[in-house]
Amino acid sequence: MTAVISNRPLWRLAWQRLRQRPLQYLLCIVGIALGVAMMVSIDLANGSAQRAFSLSTDAITGRATHRIEVIAPTGVDESIYSQLRRMRHHSPMAPVVEGYTLVEELGAQPMRLVGVDVFVEAPFRSYFGDDERLDAQSVQLLTEPGAIVLSQDLATQYDLKLGSELHLDIAGQHRTAQVTGIVAPNDTLNRRALSNLLFTDIATAQELLGQVGRLSHIDLIINQPEELQAIAAALPTGLKLETAEAQKNAVQQMTAAFELNLTALSLLALVVGMFLIYNTVTFSVIQRRPIFGILRCLGVTQGQLFTLILAEAALFSVVGSILGVGLGIVLGRSIVGLITQTINDFYFVVSVQQVTLAQSTLFKGLTVGVAAALFASALPALEAMNTAPSLILQRSTLEGKVQKLLPKLALLWVGLTLAGVALLRWQTGGLIAAFSGLFAVLLGAALLVPPLVSLGMKALASVGYQVAGVLGRLAPRDIVRSLSRTSVAIAALMVAVSVIVGVSIMVGSFRGTVVQWLDQTLQADIYVSPPTTTANRVLGKLNPEIVETLKTWDGIRLAVSYNDADVRVVDFDRQAKLISADGDVSQGKRPYAWIRPDLGADPWKALDTGSGAIISEALILRENLASPPETITLETPEGDRTFPVLAVFYDYSSDRGTIILDNDLYTALWHDDRVASLGLFTAPDVSVEETVAVIRTHFKGRQDLLVQSNRSLRQGSLEIFDRTFAITSALRLLAVVVAFIGVLSTLMSLQLERTRELGILRAMGMTPRQLGTLTLLETGLMGTLAGIFAMPLGFALAWILIYVINVRSFGWTLQMALEGRYFWQALLVAIAAALLAGLYPALRLGRMNIATAVRQE
Amino acid sequence: MKRSLTNLCFILAIACVMWLSSPHLFTNAANSSASPPTSNRQSKIQNSIAWRDLPATDTSKFEKAIAPRSWHFPDDFGAHEDYQTEWWYYTGNLETAEGREFGFQLTFFRQALSPGKPVSASHWRSNQIYSAHFTISDIASDRFYPYERFSRGVVDLAGAAANPYHVWLEDWSASEIEPGVVRLQAQTSDVALDLIVNQTLPPVLQGDRGLSIKGVEPGNASYYYSLVQQPTTGTITVKGKPFTVSGVTWKDHEYSTSSLSPGTVGWDWFSLQFNNGSALMLYLLRHEDGTPERTSAAMFVSPTGELTPLTPQDWTLEVLNTWKSPQSQATYPAKWVLQIPQLNLAVQGQALMPNQELNTSTATYWEGAVAFQGSLQDQPIKGKGYVELTGYADRLDTILSASAP
Repeated sequence: MTAVISNRPLWRLAWQRLRQRPLQYLLCIVGIALGVAMMVSIDLANGSAQRAFSLSTDAITGRATHRIEVIAPTGVDESIYSQLRRMRHHSPMAPVVEGYTLVEELGAQPMRLVGVDVFVEAPFRSYFGDDERLDAQSVQLLTEPGAIVLSQDLATQYDLKLGSELHLDIAGQHRTAQVTGIVAPNDTLNRRALSNLLFTDIATAQELLGQVGRLSHIDLIINQPEELQAIAAALPTGLKLETAEAQKNAVQQMTAAFELNLTALSLLALVVGMFLIYNTVTFSVIQRRPIFGILRCLGVTQGQLFTLILAEAALFSVVGSILGVGLGIVLGRSIVGLITQTINDFYFVVSVQQVTLAQSTLFKGLTVGVAAALFASALPALEAMNTAPSLILQRSTLEGKVQKLLPKLALLWVGLTLAGVALLRWQTGGLIAAFSGLFAVLLGAALLVPPLVSLGMKALASVGYQVAGVLGRLAPRDIVRSLSRTSVAIAALMVAVSVIVGVSIMVGSFRGTVVQWLDQTLQADIYVSPPTTTANRVLGKLNPEIVETLKTWDGIRLAVSYNDADVRVVDFDRQAKLISADGDVSQGKRPYAWIRPDLGADPWKALDTGSGAIISEALILRENLASPPETITLETPEGDRTFPVLAVFYDYSSDRGTIILDNDLYTALWHDDRVASLGLFTAPDVSVEETVAVIRTHFKGRQDLLVQSNRSLRQGSLEIFDRTFAITSALRLLAVVVAFIGVLSTLMSLQLERTRELGILRAMGMTPRQLGTLTLLETGLMGTLAGIFAMPLGFALAWILIYVINVRSFGWTLQMALEGRYFWQALLVAIAAALLAGLYPALRLGRMNIATAVRQE
Repeated sequence: MKRSLTNLCFILAIACVMWLSSPHLFTNAANSSASPPTSNRQSKIQNSIAWRDLPATDTSKFEKAIAPRSWHFPDDFGAHEDYQTEWWYYTGNLETAEGREFGFQLTFFRQALSPGKPVSASHWRSNQIYSAHFTISDIASDRFYPYERFSRGVVDLAGAAANPYHVWLEDWSASEIEPGVVRLQAQTSDVALDLIVNQTLPPVLQGDRGLSIKGVEPGNASYYYSLVQQPTTGTITVKGKPFTVSGVTWKDHEYSTSSLSPGTVGWDWFSLQFNNGSALMLYLLRHEDGTPERTSAAMFVSPTGELTPLTPQDWTLEVLNTWKSPQSQATYPAKWVLQIPQLNLAVQGQALMPNQELNTSTATYWEGAVAFQGSLQDQPIKGKGYVELTGYADRLDTILSASAP
């Protein structure tokens, strides 16, 4: 190729085409846009939640390099701080008391309340004056009980002024505070970080949060290793010195699996979108085959042709991706609430005041969108490029080639499926491998569609003739004749519908499993806990007096108390949930995944005597252990302790893993005899609802208690469950929309392309009605095929989601529950989508002008 | 129709590009990716904070120094929390066996933010604020090391106990190790001191039996005693290098609920310890116009402990030279001639090094080691001591009327 040759005529050609068929390109752009939008919105929402958390953590960490933490959940004894303070060392040190509160005036969202000592703040955080000097005004934090400092942004947003009253709800306790200082950081990062935080004096924080005598942690700035050693050596047992980073990382790892799952789900939409692109490009190539043939005869090179087709694809993929990013941002803003809710329910408290738009998100969205489009267009472009000019001119060559390809496609299907299975079976490959396997199976199935359609239609043609006459024979034959296009549309619809089937089965099985688990586990009649800032986790503790009163309450046969804490599992070096229990709330009805053979059917007796621990299956599954470990070693305030494993139970409330210990053992080692929740069993003849009402009235005003009957607790738990999967449903719906657009665009093009052929049929005497029926018959057939193919694929997807993805992500085994409706609903969706897509061409064809149609071109 | 669709498409795309590339969207993200969250470690962030107006402290509920009182030691070594302000002031002049000179100041201040004790569940709630100033003057290398700390008088972070005597703020402390012997300890990353201070004379009650009048208004006075000529030995560490030192230490303990009379901008305060065993405390309250307040006073302590109270009429103090601080631009006296005819005392003295200015959160002042020489009753004497010069950088009457520490 020489520089003299200009490509301009080719570009004009492309532009001509775009002007003739804008709708097709528009649909394609919408397809890409939706796919990209889903990915961007998930990325955005995940990123914003993470960023909000890490910003507020950074804002609290400040310039601290280390922190002294306590292993026991009760916090650091404040006398340890003053002892360290009077030790000879030069490292700056600051005490912190923190907790969560809902503030009525701040939209009742969870806020992090951070208590500090202004006198030692300067080296750590610069919110109360500059680095060296103490702001004399800041001493009013000390003298004014309830004095709170918040950020200018918050004050503006919620119209608060100096002196405004704040009503705090801290685990059910209502307190009043007032705005004493408004801090306006001069850089955006700090400003955003502060939008989650309320600062106050350490005394106020202790009072408000009920942590008198205790500190949450002690911040340190240590630059010399000798100091580090000296301080570490001076710490009493039960305290540990950690780097500030370690804490943050641990928290962020908790949500990694959850976020990866959402990302993978959002990628599904893009895969469906890729089918759409492939479709559109194939069409544009096929329809222009004569022109391409002429062009090639005129001397246009293969390379130029390839460039032309890819450039077209690039153009609309860029437009689509940009639109997609824009749409994703809008969507992301609305789903960030859903994701935040789930994170709050299961992991940590975060409130996102502002959606963070990271450049990487935009870049990723654009790149993936364009790359997917180019990849999908490469095949038809290569095909056009490699066909000899004389052959291009013949319309039938392509379909002939597809027919020859069919056996190869079947082979490819076998190959991809095997690869997928191998990836799924690769235990140590983690989640990425599992999702790659899932996508391989999905793509493999799509490749199998052309051979299957070909076989199916051939069989149907003869049957169709007997049932519906000429039309019954014409329809299947038409589909086979345009296999290169119809099969793609069917595959796209199939993938989308199979996602519906798979995700529905997974969510349904999950829900069924959880319902059953709740039924078995929650045997007590009444549950008492402090009202929590988040729905799933109990953050406060019960007032000991209330616990005592309730244990001897009239009409209560039995009371079991629970307490929970975070614990580091030394064997696996990760955090897990520790439950201390003085009785089995399931009364032996809880199912176990494994019980040590010598213990019989109920390991709880052994637990009660303190002879070991019961651990949850998540702990084993997430560590990829083949069998339950014999012992488990936990970090306790008294040093590392090893406990024999008595049994393995199911716990769907935590994906980090749970360890149950007897309360006596726990109290002795962790020095924490508080109670977080109570399960009450009523005497046989006592009304549960009445007892609940009486308890509520009795404790009214003393402390807000959450007193729930078994039924309402179950309901509440399922509400959380449904909320968690709300986002999944939203994603599922989007995938369907993308698929629908794909089918619509394919079928419309398909029908419109055949205008001339149909014109001839009309000329031969076929009525508009018959023509419409033919069109709908064809699209209906395609929809049915897609729906039927989607069923086994959907089942396979569900199997993978339940037995591979869920186990690897969360360590939960679910019982697969199949329901007929998942399948027939999916079939209906497929047929309905296809028929709907056929409606417009059918109507249009009915009004066609025969002469024009036949004369076309 | 087709054209309009195409056009719409392009308009949307262009709008999208413009919106995405508008700077406000990228500022946050750019910040976040370019700088790790910890970047504020390097840059000093000046956050502006608006506070609620401080309610004026009602000082009427505090006790005031109005009449002479009877003193009870060791009880009175401790804190007097009914009064708003209190300090324990250690200054001393030390040298190594080779004659390398050092000065030190270790002062503990107590300030009550409000009268009475606050009622609170938290042990951290306190209205007793402690602060401490610690300086080392390394005369030989002309280096001054000033430090300041704050804390509250709770959970053992800071406090003042009478028996056994113990005043501390974190790891800076003055603590009795046996009756009459006090150990001073303070350290920072650069300097440290660890000294044993022996009390040899009974407390010198300043003013009228310990009532030291600071202004004409009733109650504008303090209760004030000093321990002078206390032999001191120990170690001073500068930049990791320890020096064994000995010398004398002066201790002042003063408490009051008073502010300076309006128009009194500051004071010049001298504590001199002479080599014949005598000592002189002198304070000169300065008016705006430079004239001395007539309640200024001095006290001469003979080697055996006899006291001679003096009034401004009894002395002449002339400034021979000044030093201008490069930090605060304030001009401080740096060389003096002092004559007290009644005692037949004439001495001339100067700062051992010019820059001994402290720039604390509360005020900027000069407090440094000085040396005097001259004659007492026609006998040559030499003396060392400390001079405190306040109100040269900022007016003290306004600062002290604010209730901040």
